[in-house]
Amino acid sequence: MADHDPDSDSTPRTLLRRVLDTADPRTPRRPRSARAGAQRRALLETASSRRSSSQTKMTTRRHSHGARSISRSAYVQASGHLKEQTPRTLLKNILLTAPESSILMPKSVVKPVPAPQVVQPSRRESSLGSLELQLPELEPPTTLAPGLLAPGRRKQRLRLSMFQQGVPDFPLCLLPLTSSLNLTFATPLQPQSVQRPGLARRPPARRAVDVGAFLQDLRDTSLAPPNIVLEDTQPFSQPTVGCSPRVYRSPPCMPHTGAEDTELAAGCKKRSSGPGMQTNSPEKPAQFLAGEAEEVDAFALDFLSTSSGVSGEDGVEPLQDGVEEAEKRMEEEGVSVSEMEATGAQGPSRAEEPEGHTEVTEAEESQGTAEAKGPGASSGDEDASDRAARPELVSSTPESLQARRHHQFLEPDPPPGAAVLSSEPAEPLLVRRPPRPGTTGPRPQQDPHKAGLSHYVKFFSFYAKMPMERKALEMVEKCLDKYFQHLCDDLEVFAAHAGRKTVKPEDVELLMRRQGLVTDQVSLHVLVERYLPLEYRQLLIPCASSGNSVFPAQ
Amino acid sequence: MEEEAEAEEQQRFSYQQRLKAAVHYTVGCLCEEVALDKGMQFSRQTIAAISELTFRQCENFAKDLEMFARHARRTTINTEDVKLLARRSDSLLKYITDKSEEITHINLERKARKKKKSEDGNHNSRELAEAGVVESEQ
Repeated sequence: MADHDPDSDSTPRTLLRRVLDTADPRTPRRPRSARAGAQRRALLETASSRRSSSQTKMTTRRHSHGARSISRSAYVQASGHLKEQTPRTLLKNILLTAPESSILMPKSVVKPVPAPQVVQPSRRESSLGSLELQLPELEPPTTLAPGLLAPGRRKQRLRLSMFQQGVPDFPLCLLPLTSSLNLTFATPLQPQSVQRPGLARRPPARRAVDVGAFLQDLRDTSLAPPNIVLEDTQPFSQPTVGCSPRVYRSPPCMPHTGAEDTELAAGCKKRSSGPGMQTNSPEKPAQFLAGEAEEVDAFALDFLSTSSGVSGEDGVEPLQDGVEEAEKRMEEEGVSVSEMEATGAQGPSRAEEPEGHTEVTEAEESQGTAEAKGPGASSGDEDASDRAARPELVSSTPESLQARRHHQFLEPDPPPGAAVLSSEPAEPLLVRRPPRPGTTGPRPQQDPHKAGLSHYVKFFSFYAKMPMERKALEMVEKCLDKYFQHLCDDLEVFAAHAGRKTVKPEDVELLMRRQGLVTDQVSLHVLVERYLPLEYRQLLIPCASSGNSVFPAQ
Repeated sequence: MEEEAEAEEQQRFSYQQRLKAAVHYTVGCLCEEVALDKGMQFSRQTIAAISELTFRQCENFAKDLEMFARHARRTTINTEDVKLLARRSDSLLKYITDKSEEITHINLERKARKKKKSEDGNHNSRELAEAGVVESEQ
């Protein structure tokens, strides 16, 4: 005992020696490690100038290799000397008792956990001064741990993971004293992070989940899917590229509160406005406005006022937390709206189109701003139908739907999906927009017409992999135009043939059969499975779920 | 089982060949008429090509007609299905619609005549029956 006090540097060594002498040789590894331990001890003697923490690491590692199961007697001996030893030795004890973890089997044994617990109460019994003393001792190892991870010393890594997993209770006693340690200990890093040091340094940024926002998001996701499918039926539509991350992101948008959400929303919007679909983003605020108003009357005014004022302060206060995120998104909407103002409004018909629609909404002030921009669409029915469906949606997925709807609008032909929507109760909106069909003259029809075709011509030029003349592209555009007209005529005739006024999926299937895409060998479902993304597939192909329910209901 | 299937196939094949031969003959006759009319000769390959084309197109038509009828939830092919089939070509569509109108007109007339005849017949039979009843009662 008296030997330990005078040399502070040699106490770990002596401790190790003592433990090794007293430990029972159970495994065949023992004698080998004992020999290795002697060699390492010699190394340690030579490198006495090393930092104490690294020394402790090395010794503990050696010891762990050597003494897999420390006998109680040895441990009691070690603990018996706790009060007399330095804090470094206490740390040593803990490291010694931590289980060894191999690279193959990361999980550690539970057994050594009680051991450090035994240590801890004893440590706690010791004065706070010793605990505080431990702080400077512990900080270097913890700070060193990430540092050691980087150079890729496997054994050091093992040590650290062992330490973190095998000693979960250890930091608890230190929590009230240190906050810096929480990062490395309170959130135990997985073995994965140990193998990837870059991730180890970043503590996961978790924020408190808003229950209200979460519930709202649940509602959104439950309502959103039917509309996503019915609105976009084009195989090569750009929205699948731009929207799938948006769809993916929009639900996770909700749980994040505050700045993250605005950033994401802004990012989403910027992306949508980026590709040059200018008609897209002006649609969004109007659609968003409408959707919001339909959804919650109480919030509509606030939202619209925020959008017009581009300041959410008035709206934020009276509203609940759950709607804050949506409001912030509204602010972003307001920003994008102002952007669209700068870019210039579209044809007058487009301004008229949201008129009837925004009649649905309550607030009237900001309607002026929305109307001025107003989304454009060639066929009013599509708008009506889509916006009828839109009120069902909540804010979380308007962005994802906007691009799709925009894409659909740009085409002159009504895709069957939209026509299906038109069959849905779109009466309220159609009733409110009686003057629209007369006002949409040929000119506005051509603009989205051509715009949509140019979109496909771009695809054509891309897949051609060769430079094309402008005249050739114009011809391609004309051909596409005729093709789509034929397509629509056929669909219309097929629907009339079956005595219907609305185009249904059966008509589309008949068309595809005539085209030769669907044959006796290849059914429509096969094509759906082959070419459409998973979300559409779930909606188009009915599958039975438990309780005799078929989803989607038909 | 396999032999039966093979025999069936052979039967079908021979049947098909007979049909093709019939089509070929008809196409040949029509081409001769056109040749006399226009003063141009038709080579054998041309006639063979036309007949093959006609045969395959007839197969397509049949499939389409069946599809259209099923689409309208019917089991019998209607004139509506035929009109749907011919919608692409304007002149053909017009021709077919005219013909179909004629046919319906004729059908209506026939029905009207039949009704009249049947009514007269009914009147006669009724009178006879009533007379018979009266007689029997008395």
